[in-house]
Amino acid sequence: MGNEYILGILTLAGINLMTVLGLSLLTGFTGLFSFGHAGFMAIGGYATALMTVNFHWPFIPALLVGGLAAALVSAALGKVTLNLKGDYFCIATLGFGEAIRLILDNVQTFGGARGWPGIPHYTSFLNVLGVNIVAIIVLANLIHSRHGRNMIAVREEELASQIVGIDVFKYKMTSLIISAAYAGIAGGLMGHYMTFLQPKMFSLAKSTELTIIVIFGGLGSISGSVLGALVLTSLPEILRAFSSWRLVFYGLAVIFIMISRPEGLMGGYELTPSSMKKLFRNIASKRKNTLQRAGGDK
Amino acid sequence: MGILELQGLTKTFGGLTAVGDVNFNVEKDSITGLIGPNGAGKTTIFNLITGVYKVTSGKIIFDGKDITNKEPYLIAESGITRTFQNIRLFKKLTVYENVLTACHYNANYSLLDSVLRSPKFRKQEKKLNEQAAELIEIMGLEDRKDLIANNLPYGLQRRLEIARALALMPKLLLLDEPAAGMNPDETEQLMKLISEIRKKFNLTILIIEHHMDLVMGICENIMVLNFGCKLAEGTPTEVQNDKSVIEAYLGVEV
Amino acid sequence: MTQFFQQLINGLSIGSVYALMAVGYSLVYSIMNFSNFAHGGVIMFGAYFGFFFLTFLKFPFPLAFISAAICSAILALIIERVAYKPLRERRAPFLYFIISAMGASIFMENLVIAIPAIGPTFRTYPEIFNKQPIKIGELAMGKLDIAMFLISAICLIILIYIIDHTKIGKAIQATSYNLKASALMGVNTDFILITVFLMGGFLAGIAGVLFGMKYTVYPQIGIITNKSFIAAVFGGLGSLPGAVIGSVLLGIIETFTAGYLSSQYRDLIAFVLLITVLVVRPMGLMGKVTEDKA
Repeated sequence: MGNEYILGILTLAGINLMTVLGLSLLTGFTGLFSFGHAGFMAIGGYATALMTVNFHWPFIPALLVGGLAAALVSAALGKVTLNLKGDYFCIATLGFGEAIRLILDNVQTFGGARGWPGIPHYTSFLNVLGVNIVAIIVLANLIHSRHGRNMIAVREEELASQIVGIDVFKYKMTSLIISAAYAGIAGGLMGHYMTFLQPKMFSLAKSTELTIIVIFGGLGSISGSVLGALVLTSLPEILRAFSSWRLVFYGLAVIFIMISRPEGLMGGYELTPSSMKKLFRNIASKRKNTLQRAGGDK
Repeated sequence: MGILELQGLTKTFGGLTAVGDVNFNVEKDSITGLIGPNGAGKTTIFNLITGVYKVTSGKIIFDGKDITNKEPYLIAESGITRTFQNIRLFKKLTVYENVLTACHYNANYSLLDSVLRSPKFRKQEKKLNEQAAELIEIMGLEDRKDLIANNLPYGLQRRLEIARALALMPKLLLLDEPAAGMNPDETEQLMKLISEIRKKFNLTILIIEHHMDLVMGICENIMVLNFGCKLAEGTPTEVQNDKSVIEAYLGVEV
Repeated sequence: MTQFFQQLINGLSIGSVYALMAVGYSLVYSIMNFSNFAHGGVIMFGAYFGFFFLTFLKFPFPLAFISAAICSAILALIIERVAYKPLRERRAPFLYFIISAMGASIFMENLVIAIPAIGPTFRTYPEIFNKQPIKIGELAMGKLDIAMFLISAICLIILIYIIDHTKIGKAIQATSYNLKASALMGVNTDFILITVFLMGGFLAGIAGVLFGMKYTVYPQIGIITNKSFIAAVFGGLGSLPGAVIGSVLLGIIETFTAGYLSSQYRDLIAFVLLITVLVVRPMGLMGKVTEDKA
């Protein structure tokens, strides 16, 4: 047990978080659901490994290449599918994720289904932490700008946002590309943590798990996504003892969350210093009101 | 030559002609009314003008430019905005956020600017916030600006929708049944508001309405639509006395 | 030339099973407007139910078959009541249904793995139809394949008859056009949903048993439903004839790809088809085109 183990879990959580942050932008703030983001992780993972193993590039630039590769593919996918109605875009991402996995399974250059072993172990808790901090700052700054507001508008009322002059397609595309870039970098981090890559690491189950984390944390909340990634990555690890049953409960938990609290942990609110202040003020004023009322009723 | 011209505007859905060969001019700076029985095609015309529906045939000319079938956001940029029959506010956002979001294109800083928090970003954000605050004050929503839009009383929601539309500094404002669900008092207030904003914002306004007192009260010119086709056109008095209009609304004398 | 017909027959056979699955999807989609990803789990359970009835309770084949189908129908209904009904009542957006469906699917797949008595081992059905193929000229057709095709065809014909010619079928059609309006017209929409899920589940059970007979039984069978789902999209989500045609075509395309290109590409072609359909004609072969009303 001890430090090694905990750091390991946190590193894995951080890798998941990277993709989740991207998905948060796409799903939480722009309102588009994807069941194929593991595919972008795969693209990024394999591209990054290509740069480090075959071209001996240093880690960070290689990661950026991974992100870029995923972003480019997402642009192509987006061009072709973002005009489809909600449902259909979802389905297209599912098809895309599976297609990527199948292609990787069958193309022998990257090892096919058996995978690609021997990737250098470049990922550490520190660089995962660093990447995530940068990612969160970028995301937060983006959200608190007219671009972020426009994406939220697209999520809230697509028709009205068009009327208000928002180029809906451009913003959907932007959030898709950024989310794919984040996923690609996460994939690179993953490959260089596990020291190998296998197509089945990037299955539909993985894509679904990522989307579930975003929903669990609460759509439209960056802090929610952070908490969600931490909780939902570490919990299964801690519960490893109950190995086969933990997924059974996981499935039930998902249903339960959707039925009882679909707005997730944070319910769309952010954990920031100012929001905490507001929360305390609210509680204080509510107490004052009940006391006043109780006094006045005499 | 009006600010908005509909030329032979036609829209069919399968076998149904929702709008049939409509020709109409809207004079600049006027308040024009668009009336007709339910299903006459009025909202469809609004949807065609704003690019939500694609035209089957015909043209829409705005301020001298052909805007037929352009993307909705481009039409908004060229100066036409609207409100909806069933209010489409950003319901979970506050009043302030609704208006602030709409102010967006009065700024042009890029994604990179926002991420880096560049001086350009800061300056423009400040300006946007000032614009939003000003607009909210003019529209009398100052004291509710932090309320969630969904929690506003109905009348104020409509006012907010208009405020949001005005954030784009349009030349033409389309109002779709703005008085729906209002009592006579509220309708009075709305009429005053519409006249005021026409002056203050230099607007041309086109209104779809069923409240005849509002229509006859403030509209200078009216087009009557029935079954997708233009039935009559003229001043309120002319339209009120037009035989075919009376028939359409009240039926034929037996 | 014989290879061509051989492949065609194989394609029809697998396509007809896809059709059974796809029809269940389309039924639910047509009414509730969401893709029931839990459908795969029901199919998988169908395969296990059949195996159980045949091997442990030693039922005769027809009885085991029907029992498995009935159990699957009930399972489908339970999922609806637990995972979807509460969402319907809160008028949740359809995407929440999808997540709930995914949860149900994960639950089912892992339940089977976790229960010690079942576990992840592959199970094989006892041989019902012997391996001797029926020969017509140079064509050899497995008895199992013929049975799969016939059983599926019969089920589909009965289903289409019900939809088109019975009162309940008409009610289902009405509800699929407009849930709210049908309710206002006096259709008991809850009852319709129960019926639709039971029917879909019944067919899924049959498909599961057929699948288990042809291949083996294992917890991940649910993945196969991706295919039937693609077939439903191909044929047009919400259209039953579309689902059937899409499935048969998919089965044929897959088999030909495996036969003439390589079996490696068989799964891939299905997803390529999906993306192509979505790009070229998202409403599928027979789906309806709708424009958003402002």
